[in-house]
Amino acid sequence: MLELRNLAVRYGAVQALEDVSLQARAGSITAILGANGAGKSSMMRAVSGIAPVAAGQVLLDGRDITGLPAPARAKLGIAHAMEGRRLFRQLTVEDNLKLAWSFGARRVAWPTALAEVYGRFPILEAKARTLAGLLSGGQQQMVILSCTTIRSPRCLLLDEPSLGLAPIIVQQIYGFITEYAAQSGIIVVIAEQMAALALKVSQQGLVLRRGRVVLHGTSADLLRGNDGKALAASYL
Amino acid sequence: MDDFFFSLLLAGISVGAVYALIALGLNLTFWTTKTMNFGQGSLMMLCAMLTVFLSSQGLAVALAVLGSLVVVAALGMFIEHWTVRPALKSSGGSMGWVVSTLGFGIFLQGLAAKYFGSQAVAFPDVVFTAQDFVTVFGQYVSLQYLVVLAVAVALILALELFVRKTVWGQAVHAVSLDPELALVQGIPVRRLVLLSFMLSSVLAGVAGVLIAQIGGTVDPAFGFDLVLLGFVAAVLGGMGSSLGALAGGLLVGILSKLVGGYVSTAAEHGIAFALLMLALALRPQGLFGKPEVSKA
Repeated sequence: MLELRNLAVRYGAVQALEDVSLQARAGSITAILGANGAGKSSMMRAVSGIAPVAAGQVLLDGRDITGLPAPARAKLGIAHAMEGRRLFRQLTVEDNLKLAWSFGARRVAWPTALAEVYGRFPILEAKARTLAGLLSGGQQQMVILSCTTIRSPRCLLLDEPSLGLAPIIVQQIYGFITEYAAQSGIIVVIAEQMAALALKVSQQGLVLRRGRVVLHGTSADLLRGNDGKALAASYL
Repeated sequence: MDDFFFSLLLAGISVGAVYALIALGLNLTFWTTKTMNFGQGSLMMLCAMLTVFLSSQGLAVALAVLGSLVVVAALGMFIEHWTVRPALKSSGGSMGWVVSTLGFGIFLQGLAAKYFGSQAVAFPDVVFTAQDFVTVFGQYVSLQYLVVLAVAVALILALELFVRKTVWGQAVHAVSLDPELALVQGIPVRRLVLLSFMLSSVLAGVAGVLIAQIGGTVDPAFGFDLVLLGFVAAVLGGMGSSLGALAGGLLVGILSKLVGGYVSTAAEHGIAFALLMLALALRPQGLFGKPEVSKA
């Protein structure tokens, strides 16, 4: 289980996140919603260890990891797909995958792990020797997702996986995410601006506004009923 | 072949190998941080000076060299921690490291002048003496020159293999491309950066010792011009490329010696920089550098 206790993130004088608490169970998907600048990315960056935590704690499976540097957290199984489609653009697709696998848990042998990725996204096999920066947006997102899953993670953080992609690709990406979450039984946290999309695949949802939690509940409740209006209101 | 031409060629290859070694040291930190230690020359000088000092205290020459290299490696860590990292952290353009590394180099130079004196001191023979020769095509070739060439080529091959064949080589490359992404992927970025500065400093130290024994003397100003030419070699060959460092070093070395022999020794350095400007206009990524390819 991933647990945040009264987490606060500050960049100098700028307050990015304040008093955020959350429990995300293994085998479930948590959706983090909110407008631009609401603090979704800061929250994920605090979990993976690249944002300065000003107060509060991050716990993974009961262990306090707040003081650990990012590489140590990665070793414990936190895989973070950062916003803005971050991958090593000057490296080939396969080199990106190889690096991710090499510094991951290595629970599966490299040839098997690679075959799994190519089985899931055959287009990546065709582009194996292409520089990742030259792929289309959708293909890049496939590489990024594969780089996180090839590490055999314990906790998967996905920051806006749908950003800037065609609807049909978004469908495919989300199909993969839900399938992978169900089959691997790990903790999955998705930050998303497309609220309806994320709430449909997740079990619980958290809405951030200006760094604070304004709504928190089961995804079904957030989607329907009175909370639906509250959800819309929290964006305005 | 013309004997004069041949001797110039040999001298060019020898100094070229030295430039290549320096370029290699500059490349190492460029790999991880896209920065260079412009105080590299002072590290060369310091390593050579320390070797002289330690061996004058009765230490065996080999041990003196080893001890000096250890000191220089520690200085490399110091440079990363106190001159490069703070400069990279500061917001608003991060070219501060150019001044801070150069400044630290000048500081070391001053320190050496204060404690060792600014006179040139005799450098002990490390591997061969100046009297050791082999004959190539009827020309005498100093074994000391050959050692420099052999060390440069061996190191370049080793580094090329490391970068191309090992996952750690890829990790080093990844750190330079996107340090934050490298961090969240579990790559120990801090350790790699520190290591690259230590290794780069050791390379500078090795280059310093090898050149000092060729020249026979060393003084606090030693190394400064050499780093400039090493920098030209690195850029000419393609920043970050080990093979490029070798090619760039040899090119600069041979051309400057030929110019020195047939035109004027005063023109040697001028020609090197003219060559740099010309090459950058025609091929900005350098001989072996890859142009940046990316899609928005």
